[in-house]
Amino acid sequence: MMKLLTSLFVGLTLMASAPVHAQSGPLRLELDEGIIEPLPFAVPSFVPDGPAASQYAQDISRVVAADLTGTGLFREISSDAFISRVSSFDAPVQFADWKAINAEALVTGAVNVSGNRLTVRFRVWDVFSGQELGNGLQFAGTTDGWRRMAHKVADQVYSRITGEGGYFDSRVAFVSESGPKNQRRKRLAIMDYDGANVQYLTDSASIVLAPRFSPTGDRLLYTSYETGQPRIYVLDVGRVRQQELNTQEGTMSFSPRFSPDGQSIVYSLTQGGNTDLWKMNLASGQSVRLTNTPAIETAPSYSPDGSQIVFESDRSGTPQLYMMPAGGGEATRISFGQGRYGTPVWSPRGDLIAFTKQNKGRFHIGVMRTDGSEERLLTASFLDEGPTWSPNGRVIMFTRETQGASGRSSLYSVDISGRNLRPVRTPDGGSDPSWGPLQN
Amino acid sequence: METGTKISAIAHASLISWALFGGTFRSEPLPFAVQDVSVISSEQFDAMRARRGAPEVPTPPADLQQPEAPVEEVNTPEPTPDEQPAPEPVVPVEPEPEPEPETVEVPPEPEVVEEPPVLEQPDTEVAALPVPPGPDVQPSPADKVAPDPVEPPPPEAKPDDVETPQVSLDEGAEIQQEQQDQTAPEEAAPEIVTEAEEANDPAPKTSPRPRVRPNRPAPQPEPEVTEAPEPEPTEPAPSNQDAINDALTEALGSGTEPTGPPLTSGEKDAMRVAVSRCWNVGSLSTDALNVVVVVGFSLTPDGKVVGGSLRQLDSTGGSSGAAKQAYEAARRAILRCGAKGYDLPADKYAQWQDIEITFNPERMRIK
Repeated sequence: MMKLLTSLFVGLTLMASAPVHAQSGPLRLELDEGIIEPLPFAVPSFVPDGPAASQYAQDISRVVAADLTGTGLFREISSDAFISRVSSFDAPVQFADWKAINAEALVTGAVNVSGNRLTVRFRVWDVFSGQELGNGLQFAGTTDGWRRMAHKVADQVYSRITGEGGYFDSRVAFVSESGPKNQRRKRLAIMDYDGANVQYLTDSASIVLAPRFSPTGDRLLYTSYETGQPRIYVLDVGRVRQQELNTQEGTMSFSPRFSPDGQSIVYSLTQGGNTDLWKMNLASGQSVRLTNTPAIETAPSYSPDGSQIVFESDRSGTPQLYMMPAGGGEATRISFGQGRYGTPVWSPRGDLIAFTKQNKGRFHIGVMRTDGSEERLLTASFLDEGPTWSPNGRVIMFTRETQGASGRSSLYSVDISGRNLRPVRTPDGGSDPSWGPLQN
Repeated sequence: METGTKISAIAHASLISWALFGGTFRSEPLPFAVQDVSVISSEQFDAMRARRGAPEVPTPPADLQQPEAPVEEVNTPEPTPDEQPAPEPVVPVEPEPEPEPETVEVPPEPEVVEEPPVLEQPDTEVAALPVPPGPDVQPSPADKVAPDPVEPPPPEAKPDDVETPQVSLDEGAEIQQEQQDQTAPEEAAPEIVTEAEEANDPAPKTSPRPRVRPNRPAPQPEPEVTEAPEPEPTEPAPSNQDAINDALTEALGSGTEPTGPPLTSGEKDAMRVAVSRCWNVGSLSTDALNVVVVVGFSLTPDGKVVGGSLRQLDSTGGSSGAAKQAYEAARRAILRCGAKGYDLPADKYAQWQDIEITFNPERMRIK
């Protein structure tokens, strides 16, 4: 009995004294600050399945890398730094070699060509965890479409790392401009999002303005001075067949935009010196008036759900942004900063509105919440205007014009954070971009 | 019974009672804020004062610092538009006549045995808490945005987190030092500076949100009281010596893991800073930037992440897809900055063997 008591006493005494420093659970930390920098990635040249695929393999991997780098969110690691080569698509990845050059993501792929049929397989790897991001995918098409397949691969890679949809397999309609300012030739054109594959849809016989893609990307609305007065036309992109929309005779109609369902358009119509917003049903051709004020109302843009329209009006004395129900009704002013606001465009995500702002002699592209709060100016120059959203709502493309008689219009893009401002290369000058949806 | 015996009995009973129940009523430690202080020399202080007095020279607007065209045309026999007369509209050629590319799942890759990491990572650096940018901090456009602004490195310096001077061989010197390249940390700005802000006014347009009050430490779960199972009648009763040994083992642990005192706030901050230097949220979607994710993992005694121990414990504020991206960014941070092993006190291994980190990107969101 005495022994038992002794052992109990010793044990309890030790239990009471020892746990002073004992760990009662995991060490808990909270991080609220990290860094923002491009994520380093590597795209070794895709593996060709045969000699015919060699050039395609190289070109496709270059376009994938350029797409990712162009976002500003990724930084490509030069192939000069590579330690290991990828010689087989199915060979195990030597993660240690890619860690050593600090590549956080790795894209491997293979290309097969059979006749004019092209097949691209690829995988995305998280190097430091040694895990594959998503499953391997394969795209098949024709050799003519190799660029589109490269864009599709890049869209997948982008989506798997960032968590949001890509925008590389998309096209942009714009007005191609050539010649001096006082004698400028304007043609409607369409190109890949990165400036490649430019094709012209109209000649330069008449001035064309402000093309606007339909939600499915198969049609374009634009304004033309073909008749001497600005009139709205709709153009079938696939067949390049245009048709004038039947707005009222003797009036000027411009600034059109499709509704999200593509069934109707909203536009400005000037009648008797007054400009108001109208809506036209494309099937019936019937138009209804949405605003009726002595002020100038223009540049309407639908919310993605089609319930609201944001537009520009000078009813308060200076051009400002207003919002109203899609069927018309009372409008609410949402811009209250200094300067003049115009060309509002609703983000495809629905959370932001991009706009042009003129203040103190400079032009800006900016974004604000849909209630007008949290305004942020992303750019500043002699003349910036006409923002358009990428399909994923992450990037804005716009027109920048330089000063002077030899001033030139060109297209630029910027991330909604205000970073990664960069020109979009076009053969000539460019203006009025309209970013189409992702292609199927 | 003698008085001395009574006093001794009461004292022993009290000691045993305190040992048994004293811990039950232990209160949670009160929350407290810790501010790290960097010690600087008087010369550094004078230098700082001199900088404050000097007028700031705004950065010249520069021509956008943009790289060349996004995509290089490769063997595309594209007609030059200027050379075309183009009097009539040209029928656009669809890049891909096929209606939709086929999508085929590729069979999963076989398991790859990961080799031990050999990445040369900079040593974990014990640093003070990030200092909010003062009025004299000139925001400058940089590819990297980090809590601590970093001046542009010298042009000849290689990018590295650790700053080292250049050492070249001196033929006349008696003692030759090892030759080394000059390295400097990559330039970093304290916040995103848009062209509009850069062009108009060098002063920051927005101020960082005040640091949120730290959450109270989560209450420790009460130990579940379960009744001990009845001893099997066939098992022999443990001897007194076994009971003592068991009690000793339980009290002292396995005896192989040094416990040591709790980590100091400086040691915790050092660990926090070590991970945050690799927590890159720049490539996360705006949805993923709304996710607060809690990641748990274990470390080996030399501070390396135990393979397979990383796991997502919790997430709030976003879809499952966004939570997955947020977790993967956190996982990359832990693995990348811990490749050489985190610099933690070895004598306190039991304190940091298991770690849970809450990654809260609230301050890193696009505003």
